[in-house]
Amino acid sequence: MSFLKFIIKNPFRRKTSAVLSIVGIAIGIIVIVALGGITDGLVNTFEETIHAGGADFQISGKETGDSAYGTNTINASWTDKIANVSGVDEAYPIYVVLTSVGDDYRNTLIGIDPNGTTLADISMKNGRIFEDNSSEVILGEIYADDNNYSVGDNIEIDGEDFEVVGIYETGDQNMASGVFTSITKVGDLMDDEDSISNIYVKVKKGQDPQTVADRIDAEYGDNITTVTSIMEMTQMADMLNMLQASTWAISLLAIIVGGLGIINTMLMSVFERTREMGVLKAVGWSNGKILTMIVGESLVITIVSAIIGSLIGFLACTFLGPQMGIEPLFTPKIFVQAFAIAIFVGIIGGIYPAIKAMKLPPTEALRYE
Amino acid sequence: MNAVEMKNVYKSYENGNIKALNGIDLTIGEGEFVSIIGPSGSGKSTLLNMLGALDIPDSGSINVAGQDLNTSKKLNEFRAQKIGFIFQLHNLIPNISVVENIEIPMFTQKLSSKEMRAKALKLLDDVSLRDKADIMPNKLSGGERQRVAIARALANDPSIILADEPTGSLDSKTSSKILKQLIDLHEDKNVTLIIVTHDMDVAKLADRVIEVLDGEIISAGDDSLINSKIDV
Repeated sequence: MSFLKFIIKNPFRRKTSAVLSIVGIAIGIIVIVALGGITDGLVNTFEETIHAGGADFQISGKETGDSAYGTNTINASWTDKIANVSGVDEAYPIYVVLTSVGDDYRNTLIGIDPNGTTLADISMKNGRIFEDNSSEVILGEIYADDNNYSVGDNIEIDGEDFEVVGIYETGDQNMASGVFTSITKVGDLMDDEDSISNIYVKVKKGQDPQTVADRIDAEYGDNITTVTSIMEMTQMADMLNMLQASTWAISLLAIIVGGLGIINTMLMSVFERTREMGVLKAVGWSNGKILTMIVGESLVITIVSAIIGSLIGFLACTFLGPQMGIEPLFTPKIFVQAFAIAIFVGIIGGIYPAIKAMKLPPTEALRYE
Repeated sequence: MNAVEMKNVYKSYENGNIKALNGIDLTIGEGEFVSIIGPSGSGKSTLLNMLGALDIPDSGSINVAGQDLNTSKKLNEFRAQKIGFIFQLHNLIPNISVVENIEIPMFTQKLSSKEMRAKALKLLDDVSLRDKADIMPNKLSGGERQRVAIARALANDPSIILADEPTGSLDSKTSSKILKQLIDLHEDKNVTLIIVTHDMDVAKLADRVIEVLDGEIISAGDDSLINSKIDV
């Protein structure tokens, strides 16, 4: 028999007590793993939302000239300048004009590069995206519903016929009442190819949008201004930070409760095995070996708890999370954290009882009944 | 060479109110079989604990198996290498098998699991319990458990065996068997055997009987004193 095997066997000598300890610590680990998975899932969803769909922020003119159609404009050359700023991944111009659309005398017509529609935070409900410099449009679902348009219909814009090639949906009510077409086409219609209204900017993954916006402001702040949705992002980030903080608070609670539980279990174990401690000292075991044994036994309990807790936490979150509309994300970091906490609790919980065992005078321990 | 040399050893408990050993001088030769007798509270178990380095004296010197126990800082190593303990209650660990119990003292040595097992099985052979190697101690009779305890005491090839009432909890027939086993091992392995006992019949089996009363040795081997001074 190896020393390790002896250590592994010992905690299960008092099965009920060992099982109760394992259950107690495993509950803490389940909470840590489940909350960690949920928090990471929410963070991931949030990051995907702000990075994959929609721009991180927009740029508009500071002292812009009025277009003939009542909207402010900046020079189209700003798009390239912004695209070259460090940290910027994509920059697409939009040109928003008010013009006659269908039966409406004045409605919003938005020109954008077909590749830039992802930054406009719209998604296709029916049909496809228009092609560049074509007489094709896509309609917001509210506009299409209100005016009974569907894919394949024709619509007259500023006196020219366009084909409806798609219907899009978006969370933005104003945008859902609008009409998109190619920015080149809008330039043609307005006879103004050098003007744009705004620039949608998406930062590179890992970059902080606020930092990049500040960088643009610092460089070109005299002429343009950044309009960000940072406020919303900050609020969301604050909420996620709070969630992460509560995960740590619960972890701390698990450490304290688990630690007290394991100290109690190990103290009871040492107390009940007082005579055995005396025998071990009599046969020549050093205090270091006794300490290793007790702390090792404590670690066996907490590591078994970590394995069971991680498994249950993972399975419960994976199966129940989606039913509650949560898509958990389990990274190795969560399990490393759970095991690190279990090992920490095991060591802390084992040390005090081990010191008690070490300090037992062998003659008294052998007399103990 | 002497296995034990004690000079003027004093030990008291409870702030000196209980004098357990009161100026003990004792010499035991290597390979000798000695019994220590005396009534309860006479100090015989304290004396045995001193010899096994489980306790330290208030004053006086103790040299066991060539080691000065007053100055040694690694008493656990001394116990592991030189001493084998046998207790009145076998004190076997309940959740591990018989053979694993014998391996417990070997954790202090640099032996592989395989070597430990082979040695433990050999010791079980010596106490005629080889067939019980893999069962749990609670399946053994009292006598068998004490034989396992004897095997455990021999695990690290000690030069001295200290037995505290080794037959105290056994019936007379089993006691005889255990004592015969101890004496055989003492003779075969030439270990110094020191037995603490209440039982005069057990004590008389030894080469020498040491009588302790009120923390003092009143006889270190003169049989004539036994019946006259101590009512055990």
